Amino acid sequence: MSLSFLDPSVTTSKSVAMAPRPESLAGKTVGLFDNTKEQADIVLEALGEELMRSHGVREVITRRGIHYSKPAPLEIVEEMARKCDIVICALGG
Amino acid sequence: MSEEQTTASVFDAIEFFYGKPWTDGYPIVPPTRELVAAMLEGTRRNPDEELGLVPPNFETLTVRMVAEHAVMAGALPRYLPVILGGMTAILDEKLNMHGVQTTIHGVAPLMIVNGPYARKIGLNGGRGCFGPGFRANTTIGRTIRLILYNVGGGYPSASFSCFGQPSRYTYCIAENEAESPWEPLSVTRGFRAGQDVVTVVQCENPHLVHDDANDEPERLHVSTTDCMANLGGMNAYRATDMVVALAPDIADNFAKAGMSKADVHKLLCDKAGRRVGDLKRGGLWRLERLNRWVTKVDPDDDDCFVPTIQEPSRLFLIVAGSRPGATTAVMHGWNETTRGVSVAYDA
Repeated sequence: MSLSFLDPSVTTSKSVAMAPRPESLAGKTVGLFDNTKEQADIVLEALGEELMRSHGVREVITRRGIHYSKPAPLEIVEEMARKCDIVICALGG
Repeated sequence: MSEEQTTASVFDAIEFFYGKPWTDGYPIVPPTRELVAAMLEGTRRNPDEELGLVPPNFETLTVRMVAEHAVMAGALPRYLPVILGGMTAILDEKLNMHGVQTTIHGVAPLMIVNGPYARKIGLNGGRGCFGPGFRANTTIGRTIRLILYNVGGGYPSASFSCFGQPSRYTYCIAENEAESPWEPLSVTRGFRAGQDVVTVVQCENPHLVHDDANDEPERLHVSTTDCMANLGGMNAYRATDMVVALAPDIADNFAKAGMSKADVHKLLCDKAGRRVGDLKRGGLWRLERLNRWVTKVDPDDDDCFVPTIQEPSRLFLIVAGSRPGATTAVMHGWNETTRGVSVAYDA
């Protein structure tokens, strides 16, 4: 005997496309998001310096979250989306 | 809105749900329109009422969606008020369900239910309460898990928990108020006696501490406080929550020595801990983490005592389990971003 029922699935078809990758970093503004995991700040500081020195990055904007177990504050996400061409989120460890 | 599906048989419907990444590995009761309508009879709330956004995907959860998941979990309509109360606590940002849905760790939200309605629906806080065999415990907790997986999107292939843990199937008990010598957790948390309250705390599976050799408080606390402070638990190194459930016989031994619940709570807070020199030997010790501690310590002072419970309000002390039972269940917590949440609910 056939059965009719509801399918409450809400998440299975959800996917977010990857942001397009830039051809070059020259002249770009790069955002570095520190999620507060230990030593993420050290890794990102070194990365930022290297991006400016060797890849022609125009400006590096660094922001720090509240805690790595909490989402990035919306105002920081929006600010970085507005100011940056590329944003790199980093974990420490 | 949920779409209607038709399969050739009920077994095909069960297989249909096995094809979804968000089910828990057990068979699903197919949520027919009739069963969902019957489930909604368990509450006076409007089916379209929005309870909030379930992280990390932040889909909106309605009362009707809760009812659909309750049917799938095998729950009865009279369980629905407890499930709705539990979801309200889980969606409170103070609990940080977002973090737990995405963590590499594996804690799960433990629901502790106080008040007369839990007794009325047969929610077990006595013999075997953390184990299988009790429909209310099993299906209320399972409903929460299915919602977290489906509506929140926190199912294993989409999240990071390295091991998961068995209490992610279900994690819901009542407090054994009838056999407790003290006031229930809800009263300790500021609610009226006799109020229906659900408290949710992010924690690990119960670690069972057995002690049938001692009844005087100064010895009876030792194995429990040692377990609380074990270096493998998160609490030794992080200012976070913990649940300790004393079996009625253990609670009675403390009470017979003249101790109130507050006295036992203070004893556990005072005795569970490690010295800095011990913490430094390994574990989660990192100098950069000390700034997240509530307890301020000198990392060079090896004799400095670091309490496992860094803030007394983070120890949730309850009575559960049955007689005879010389057992205490210790449930270690997660990290400093979560705080247990209690809410009164309408039965």
